[in-house]
Amino acid sequence: MFKRRKIANLSDADLVKLAKQNHKHFGVLYDRYFEQIFKFIYKRLGRDEENSADITQQTFLKAMLNIAKYENRGYHFSSWLYRIAINEVNLFFRSLKNEKVVEIDQHKIVNLFEEANIEVHSNTENQDKLIQLLNELPQDQIDLIELRFFQEMNFKEIAEIYSITEANAKMKVYRILEKLNKNF
Amino acid sequence: MRKFSVNRKDKQKPLSNDEINRYKNFSQLSHEYEQITKRPKKPLYQNRKLFLYLLLLGLILYILYIESKK
Repeated sequence: MFKRRKIANLSDADLVKLAKQNHKHFGVLYDRYFEQIFKFIYKRLGRDEENSADITQQTFLKAMLNIAKYENRGYHFSSWLYRIAINEVNLFFRSLKNEKVVEIDQHKIVNLFEEANIEVHSNTENQDKLIQLLNELPQDQIDLIELRFFQEMNFKEIAEIYSITEANAKMKVYRILEKLNKNF
Repeated sequence: MRKFSVNRKDKQKPLSNDEINRYKNFSQLSHEYEQITKRPKKPLYQNRKLFLYLLLLGLILYILYIESKK
């Protein structure tokens, strides 16, 4: 009991070391990040509870299976989990036979309009046009837009997920916004 | 494939932590991990190496038995 409580207080880096020796120790990391990763996947899936639960389990299973390869490069452990989750969600969408519609709250679209410097954003026709442009973006670009505007992550968090600098993450996002503005 | 659309109705309510925690199940995850990583148990007749080894051992014991009888 005391030992378990002691383990639960360890840092992520120490827990990763323990999990590399015995997979049962991964349980503390699982407890620590389950809700966060579930919410992330749930939003990306457009509020599909059952599939979110399956993909979250799959994400943690992949993390457990690959924990030996994990290297601490000074980023949060969660950014590694997010990267696995992004891949798992993309695999899920690719495996679907039918198109799945993911609804985005209107205020998030308005934020996207503002950042892309497109002025008329209250018009529903314009909003639909922007959504159409988003749907035509390649996967790597849509992932970035999703993280920034639909998951509402800051550039530091995005940079950690992709193991790039904050400035690089910012540049990548603003290039996509420029492209959206140009095509609008 | 996935397509985005705009939700113009009310802002969607996020799931509560209790609702999310219903899906939390580390023992199931651990079981799945063990299923993937543990060595498959082959029956003896399907394990060629072990079968031949036991056959060879049997033959040696038989020869020793015959020799000791002489």
